[in-house]
Amino acid sequence: MQSFFQFSRIARGVLIAAIAAIVPLPVAAAVADPLADGAKAYKPFVVEHIGIALAGARDLQAAAKSGDVREAQAAWIKSRKGWEAIEPITGEFFSELDGAIDAWPDAKQGYHAIEAALFSGKVAGIAAPTDKLVADLAAFDKQLKAPGFKFTPQGLLNGAAKLAYEVGENKSKGGESPYAGTSLIDMQENVEGIEAVYKLAFEPTLAERDKKLAAAIDEKIEDLEKLVKVEDLKKVDQGALRRNGEELAVLLQSAAPKLELEKPSVGE
Amino acid sequence: MRAPARAREVIAASLAAVLVAGAALAAPIVTREGVLPSGTELGEDAAVQPTELFMTELAGGKRSYQQKLGDMLFSSPAIFGGVAKQAGISCATCHQQGAGNPALYIPGLSRRHGTFDTTGALFNPRADNGLFDPVTPPSLRGATFLAPYGHDGRFASLRDFIRNVVVNEFAGPEPSGEVLDALVAYVQDIGFLPNPKLNSDGRLTDAASAAAHRGEAIFNRPFRRDASMSCATCHQASSAFVDHQVHDVGSGGWFKTKTLINADFNAPYFHDGRFDSYDQVVGYFDKRYDLGLSESERADLVAYLDAVGDASTPTTPDTVQNELDEIAVFAGVLDTAIREHDAAIIAVAVDTVGGEWRELGERIPETKDTSVSGGLAERAKARGAVRQMVLALRQIDMAAERGDFDAAAEGYADYRAQMAPATTALAAAEPFSLFDPTVRRRHFAALARLDALAK
Repeated sequence: MQSFFQFSRIARGVLIAAIAAIVPLPVAAAVADPLADGAKAYKPFVVEHIGIALAGARDLQAAAKSGDVREAQAAWIKSRKGWEAIEPITGEFFSELDGAIDAWPDAKQGYHAIEAALFSGKVAGIAAPTDKLVADLAAFDKQLKAPGFKFTPQGLLNGAAKLAYEVGENKSKGGESPYAGTSLIDMQENVEGIEAVYKLAFEPTLAERDKKLAAAIDEKIEDLEKLVKVEDLKKVDQGALRRNGEELAVLLQSAAPKLELEKPSVGE
Repeated sequence: MRAPARAREVIAASLAAVLVAGAALAAPIVTREGVLPSGTELGEDAAVQPTELFMTELAGGKRSYQQKLGDMLFSSPAIFGGVAKQAGISCATCHQQGAGNPALYIPGLSRRHGTFDTTGALFNPRADNGLFDPVTPPSLRGATFLAPYGHDGRFASLRDFIRNVVVNEFAGPEPSGEVLDALVAYVQDIGFLPNPKLNSDGRLTDAASAAAHRGEAIFNRPFRRDASMSCATCHQASSAFVDHQVHDVGSGGWFKTKTLINADFNAPYFHDGRFDSYDQVVGYFDKRYDLGLSESERADLVAYLDAVGDASTPTTPDTVQNELDEIAVFAGVLDTAIREHDAAIIAVAVDTVGGEWRELGERIPETKDTSVSGGLAERAKARGAVRQMVLALRQIDMAAERGDFDAAAEGYADYRAQMAPATTALAAAEPFSLFDPTVRRRHFAALARLDALAK
């Protein structure tokens, strides 16, 4: 399916409008609290991507059972892509599950325990961590869809700023998924995730209050997109990536007062 | 500087068994998608660092802006180009704290740990000489007294030598005069470490053993086959144990005489690092020049070299405070650079100091690190504080870039104001960090278990 990353360059406005249409909001509420509306508008993106992560993990489970290493690797990558796109909110809103799903270094649970064995050509031994991954992602999905659950604007801004900083970490020696060799995909999905949360949750409000700053953030995200849109990790300009990631985090922090939010924390 | 990224820190399980007390924990790169070959070890995770002393400070003075700028640039990948810049490699990668790096290993460029082919294709294809000729990155202690430069002494000038490293070995852009002057000023100030066994004339003191004193006599004794020669002919004690000449001692070419001062910490020995110990070196010369040394004479000569090469405090524990002290020196450059509206130096300082902060932060295990128990709140707070310092620096650069140096100065004041709370947060997290030997062992053991899965 076409990613948000690609889609956004074609018709961002249409997409945002489409998601807004999927999540009908009382007009009064939208006027009263545009940021809460933005957070609601962002939620379908997360629902979609956790769905991708969970489906991929289930495919991985099946492939591991049948002993098909290639299928299992493809399923791991599919699942991982879904996960990486929602990293702005994983640690911020689901810290316990995030700690299990994305544990590092941990040879017993999470994506990386599976990755280390699977991408050395083995499916033997990955059944237990894969079962646990499926269970954890399912629990994530359930919590996300629980009636009382909602994203807070502050948490979303924290998560976006934090991930902008993290995207700038030097990946020249391998990055997040060193055994699978898919760190570039992680980065692309991370940037897509930042773009989604910003575009859906904050840009409409910020553009009304500070058009120049909103444009600067938009431009910085586009710069990051360009930097990670390369053939392989070796071609990523690490210095520029770090500088742009940090600049985006700074800009998101400077947006906080305009959005009547606290300066976002970039810590865990 | 230390290389960031989690892939770097995955250690080979086979290494884990032989590593003790965390001091020698290595971190080879495991991925094939990085810019450095899989299996690369940069040796940047040591629990102790070589001690670095500056002659200006030993004399009771203070280091100049130029020397501090050089110190900062020495740790900056930004002055290099190509793969080195991409990989975050700086001068300090090979010359840790101005010393050498016996743990350095780059597959395809190293014959053994502590060696590196500076004319290979990886870092600058234009300088590739088609030979596999790795050499040791030498210690720079006392470099100002040790001309000529380069193992084969090809550069009479330290400035020319440094320029060659930047431009030709590591594909960097032509450095400005300011950058070169600063690097030279920094390197020229790196002093030998004090050694109570040696006096200022290069003679042993009473602190040295009897065996070392016997060895000193042998060192100065004429060779039995050539009475005009002794070890001291080339290694002149009163001249930092060098003669500023190159010689062919049968090691494959003409190479300059190496200093023996602090050399206990400079292994492996010879230009290509072929020898691990003084015993091997003495054995080589005994045979090469038919010295006819008895077993006890060889032992005495080794004892002498041990005494001459010693230092009272060769290493310094790597602690949060030591890291912060270094960061403070580097960041201090901003004081002058902002005042002088020097946007270029501000940019490189922000990148370099920010990089140092990031590396410090990575030594505080993230909360997802299941190998480390305890200190969750402290770790989270410290990592958050580190990140905020990085962003405070970035704000300075952003202001300077748009020519607003008043805002840059305000940003720098803000950065400095945040230093104290960040220091407190880091100190609180230190017992739960990789600075702690137990945490360190657990963390690297977990990495080894993960890596074992990939075998």
